[in-house]
Amino acid sequence: MGIARYVGGRLLFLVPQIIGIILVGFLLIKAVPGDPATLMLGPMATPESIAKLRGELGLDKPIPVQFFIYIDKLVHGDFGTSWQTTQPVLEDLKIRFPATLELVTYGLLTALLIGIPLGIVSAMRQRGFLGRLGDFYGLVAGALPDFWLALILIYVFYSLLSWVPSPIGRIDVMLVPPATITGFYTIDSLLEGDWTAFWSSVQHLILPVLTLGLINAGPILKMTQSTMERMLQADFCQYERLCGLPEELVMRHALRNSFPSVITIVSVLYGFLIGGAVLVEIVFSWGGAGQYAVQGVLNSDFNPVLGFVIFSALFSLVVYLIVDLIYLAIDPRIRH
Amino acid sequence: MTMVLPQVDLPGGVPPPAERRAVGAKVKFALRYFIQLLRTHPAYAAGYIIIAVVTVVAVMAPLIAPFSPITADPSVYLQPPSLSHLFGTDATGMDVFSRVIFAPRIDLAIAMMGTLISAVIGTSIGAWVGYFQETRGLRSFLSNVVMRAADVLQAFPVFVFAIALVAVFGQSISSVVFAIAFVNIPIYLRLMRSQVLGIRRMRYVEAAYVCGMSDLFIIRRHIIPNAMAPVLAQLSVNIGWSVLLTAGLSFVGAGVRAPAPEWGSMIAMGFPNVMTGQWWPSVFPGLALALTVYGFALIGASIEFMADPRRRRTLANVRVPFAAVGE
Repeated sequence: MGIARYVGGRLLFLVPQIIGIILVGFLLIKAVPGDPATLMLGPMATPESIAKLRGELGLDKPIPVQFFIYIDKLVHGDFGTSWQTTQPVLEDLKIRFPATLELVTYGLLTALLIGIPLGIVSAMRQRGFLGRLGDFYGLVAGALPDFWLALILIYVFYSLLSWVPSPIGRIDVMLVPPATITGFYTIDSLLEGDWTAFWSSVQHLILPVLTLGLINAGPILKMTQSTMERMLQADFCQYERLCGLPEELVMRHALRNSFPSVITIVSVLYGFLIGGAVLVEIVFSWGGAGQYAVQGVLNSDFNPVLGFVIFSALFSLVVYLIVDLIYLAIDPRIRH
Repeated sequence: MTMVLPQVDLPGGVPPPAERRAVGAKVKFALRYFIQLLRTHPAYAAGYIIIAVVTVVAVMAPLIAPFSPITADPSVYLQPPSLSHLFGTDATGMDVFSRVIFAPRIDLAIAMMGTLISAVIGTSIGAWVGYFQETRGLRSFLSNVVMRAADVLQAFPVFVFAIALVAVFGQSISSVVFAIAFVNIPIYLRLMRSQVLGIRRMRYVEAAYVCGMSDLFIIRRHIIPNAMAPVLAQLSVNIGWSVLLTAGLSFVGAGVRAPAPEWGSMIAMGFPNVMTGQWWPSVFPGLALALTVYGFALIGASIEFMADPRRRRTLANVRVPFAAVGE
């Protein structure tokens, strides 16, 4: 009961924020020079046909009216149409958002696999080699441009070693992608029992996931390391040591208490990467949502941009909500 | 609240001789302490060296570069690194080395300008918001509005937001500077606000208030100087991060345009060649970019170290002169 009320309150709080995001995005896009009607019809269009299309698109109305029309359509699930793909934006995003999500999710899991163990070990051996390695890795990972690291990985593993297929798209061009169930190719192909599609999508995932994993392990490592160090210095750990508990047990308790801050950084990264992985998407021609939005901005195709912004904002907000619920579950102090 | 208070002499103008000596001792101490820090933490020293080298090379680029950074020589396209072309040549026959050392002129200038603008605006607003948020009335209300606006801006995906801003203002260097400044403002706003919220409750702030100092004077004299350390650390890290963002924007074609020498667009131009095995047009600019960002990150880490009194104490060799501790 208490939890339902809490979630309800949080969701209510989201409404003004979402409207603010849509408003800012909308105004921003209206400020971009370039008339969509002219672009859609091409340079040979007559002024009459441009005026007609402007009327159909509602572009001849004042900006506040346009905004309310947009909101009204949104409420009915209409995100507008992209003139580049000639598809409704919602349909496009239904394919592209899971593509980004699949990439980012596996990337973050990889980052966790690298960052947490390294963070723990370097917190245990602060002055030793591993401690220094942890410090070094944390700073270097933050300094590497992800699109450049992706290129290096392509050069080594594709051009030199040919261990992976050509880094274009999510699956081999000769294969039929699995039917959309979750939108994750790896999961959908398994559900269909299509092993070739599964293997191909895994191969295409390796390099981009490795890129995101290596880079985002940096902040996770730093957070794990600093929290673990603080926990090991905390009174409860000192006391346990004084009582003669084995070091392993002390470590485990310190780790347990470090979880909340690690979860925080993961949630922040998750929200950030939906848009932040866009450069990696572009390098690997991933066809994800970020790439879709960037192409939209560059070609004055604005419905996809707004659609993406709304989707990713909603996603971040949902992730933050879930994280707060996880806090409730793992931190007894908050529950009371 | 109106109270008649005795006039207080404000420190200002030329400091009296005793105070000036104390200032001299403090500077000397800070310098000695700084050298000690670099000696015990060679990585920090490396950061300062990297940035110094990058800056000097960028300034001296016309003297160092063996070739013009924007002139293509089609007869020598895609040459591997050699003595005449240290980093090889790209697909149009431009010398990669010359372009790599000219690039920080654009990249660093954009990143520093953008970060400085956002820091000045962000910290001013942040100080104001932090100072007034817990009071009552219009100014508190405005502070809350500012914070909610910052929430909304930060919910935007940074990269798409920056590209859209560049699109709004037309593709030019000043648009990139503006976009970087704009997306960074909320960071400084929040940082400064949280600092100020803490400092505002300090006794010396209350004392100044009771003495009848104006809000503006208290913010300028007491709040901002005491809240600056984390901002400075953030500034350095943020410049590096802005270099990355500039390069990223240029990489997708929304920032600096080729043939202007810029690391991100160089990496993008070399991309098709990497696929076929000619790694040098992309790898060298990327290395320079990563090294520069790493240098700024190290400087940021060293400032953070200096600002943290607990970690400062670990530099045990430095004897703290009593004159410098008080204040």
